[in-house]
Amino acid sequence: MSFETAQIDDLVSLERGEIDRRIYTDRAIFELEMERIFARSWLFLCHDSQIREPGDFFQAVMGRDNVLVVRQKDGSIKAMLNTCAHRGNAVCRAEEGNAKSFLCTYHGWSYGIDGRLNGVPGLNTFYKGELDKSRHGLTQVAQVGNYRGFIFGTHDASAPPLEEFLGTTGRLGLDTIALRGEMEVVPGIQKFVIECNWKIAVDNLFDWYHPQITHASAFLPSVLPSTSMREQKAAEKIDLNGVTMQSGAGLDLPGNGIIGSKFDQVVVLGEYGHAIGGPTTSSSGFFEFDPSWRETPRAKAALGSVGCKVGGHPNIFPTTWATAALPQLSLRIPRDPTHTEIWWFTLVDRNLPRETRDFMVTTACRIFGPAGVLEQDDGENWAQATAQTRGIASRRMKHLLNMGLGRGQIIKEGGLARIEGLTSEYGQLWTYYSWAQWMKGLSWNELKKATTPGDCI
Amino acid sequence: MSNESQFVTHDERIAAMLLHYEVERFYYDEAALLDSHRYDEWLALFSYDAHYFMPIRRTRTQREMDKEFTKPGEMAFFNDDKMLLAGRVAKLKTGRSWAEDPPSRTRHLITNVRIVKDDGRTLEVESNFHVYRTRLNSEETSWIGSRRDLLRRADGSFQVADRKIFLEQTVLLSRNLSNFF
Repeated sequence: MSFETAQIDDLVSLERGEIDRRIYTDRAIFELEMERIFARSWLFLCHDSQIREPGDFFQAVMGRDNVLVVRQKDGSIKAMLNTCAHRGNAVCRAEEGNAKSFLCTYHGWSYGIDGRLNGVPGLNTFYKGELDKSRHGLTQVAQVGNYRGFIFGTHDASAPPLEEFLGTTGRLGLDTIALRGEMEVVPGIQKFVIECNWKIAVDNLFDWYHPQITHASAFLPSVLPSTSMREQKAAEKIDLNGVTMQSGAGLDLPGNGIIGSKFDQVVVLGEYGHAIGGPTTSSSGFFEFDPSWRETPRAKAALGSVGCKVGGHPNIFPTTWATAALPQLSLRIPRDPTHTEIWWFTLVDRNLPRETRDFMVTTACRIFGPAGVLEQDDGENWAQATAQTRGIASRRMKHLLNMGLGRGQIIKEGGLARIEGLTSEYGQLWTYYSWAQWMKGLSWNELKKATTPGDCI
Repeated sequence: MSNESQFVTHDERIAAMLLHYEVERFYYDEAALLDSHRYDEWLALFSYDAHYFMPIRRTRTQREMDKEFTKPGEMAFFNDDKMLLAGRVAKLKTGRSWAEDPPSRTRHLITNVRIVKDDGRTLEVESNFHVYRTRLNSEETSWIGSRRDLLRRADGSFQVADRKIFLEQTVLLSRNLSNFF
C-alpha cells in the first residue's frame, strides 16, 4: 500500500473512535513508523545516574539503531551509533559497563569514548597514510538532551529542543519522577519480549478499563502490598451489567482501589502526542508510594495548580511511560510489527533509608516486569490482540476506542489541556490520532499545529 | 574434583551417595508437584523465611563479569518472600489468572545436582534445570539455567530456605514468567 495523507487519515478516525487493525501487523506501516516517527522523535536513552563515571556507557535503542550513551571525561554525555565507520560491525557488544575505548573486532579500528577514530591498523602500510581519520569517527546522534536527569536523543538535527518537544505535558510526566528527590536508577533493567505490536503496549498505559478484569487475580491481600489505596473503604462498584464468566456465573469482583471501582479521572492531552491518563490525586484510584513529595515547595511550583491534581500515567510520545507509583519508567521498543521489547527502569531517591529503598525495589519486582503480578497477565492480552489482526476477515474489523466519544470537553488551563470525568479512552485515541499526524511526514511546525488539542474529543 | 577426595573411607562414600540420593529425590518430587499444578504442596517445601530470587543477567565484557548478575537489593525478575510465593499460588487459583488459564504445560528437568557445602544443618546445593513450557496452540518457551539452593534439614527431608535462579538469558525471550523454577 502507498501512504497518501488521506489513506493515513483512514487508518485512525478521531470522529468514530476507530482504528484500522492493519496498523498492528503491516510491515510497510512498520517501516514507515521507523522513518517518520523513530528517526525523528526524541527518544529516551537512559538516566544520568546510570553512567556516572567517565567511560561508563549504556547501550540504548533508537528505532533499530543501537546507540552507545557514554559519559565523557568533562562530565558531558555523548550518544553515538554502535557501528564501525569501516564495515559496520558493532564496536561494543556489552549492554552496559565502563570502557576506555571502543574496539571494532573485525579489523581493529579503535575509537575513543568520544567516538573519535584513534587507531587504524596499517594506516601507513595499507592505506599509505591517505585515510583521513577525522572523517571516520563513530556517528554522533544528531541531538542529545537532558531533562532533569532523563537523557533523550533524536536522529533529527532539525527537531525542536528537548524541553520544547516535551512541552508542559511531557515535562509534567517526567517531573512526577524527577521531583521526588535525588533520583537514581536501581541496577538491573528488566528486559523482555512480548509478541505484540508496540502501539498496543503503549495504549494500554492509559487504559483504566482493563485492570478490573485483566488483573482480577492480582488484587488479593497476599499479592499486592498493603497500601493506603487498599485501606480506603471500598469505592463504588462499577456496573457489571450482567457480565458472566464462561461458567455462566455472574462476575464478582473485589471492590477495593482501582479494581471494580469508579473514581475521578483526568486525561491530559499534549502536543506531539504526549498524554497523561488516570486518577486525579484526590480520587480513590490514586496510588503513589509516599506522595508527600508533592507538598514540597519545589514540587508545588513545578507541577502548578492543575498539574498537582494529575495522578495518572504519562506517556512521552512515542514509547516512554513514566509511572510515578513507585516510580518507574518503561520503554516499549518496537522490534518488528509483532514483537516489542519492554524495558523497565526503576528509580529511587538515593537519600532514602535502606529499608525504604529495599521495600520499593521489592515492590517494583513484584508488580511489574515479566514476573510482576500485574504485568504477567498483560502480555497474554496484547499478544492475542495482535495475533487476531492477521486473518483477512478479522483484519477488516476496527479496534474500538469510542468510550465517551464526543463528550470530552477539553479545558485549557495552566498550559495544560485536560478532560475530566470517569474512565475514558481519550488518552489512547489522542495517541493514535497523533501517530497518524507523525505518519504523514509533516514539518515540525505543521506537526505541532496538527497535534495541538482542540475543544472537544 | 570437589567433594570426592574428602570421603576417604568406604562408609563416608556410601553416606555421601545416600545424601545425594535424598537431595535428588527431593528435587524430582518438587518438579513433579510443579508439573502437575499441585502448588500448595510445592509451597510447603519452602521454609517460612525462604527467599526466592531470580537476578537480572546482563551481557558484560569478560573484565566485568563480577557485575553480570544483579544482587539482592538490586532489581530482579523474582524477589519473593514466602508470603508473596503464597500470594502467587493464591493468584493461580482465582480462576482469573489469565496467563495461566488455560494453564501452561510445563516439564521441569533437574540435572547436574551437586552438594557443594554441608554444615550438618543446611546444605548448599547447585543444580541445572530445563523448564519447557507450551501454551495454547503454538507458544513454546524453553528456560535453561542453574539454581543455588540452601536446603535446611527438616523432618527427615528438606526445606528450601533460599533459592537463587540463574537463567541463561539476558533479554528474557518470553512474554512473562508465570511459572515457578
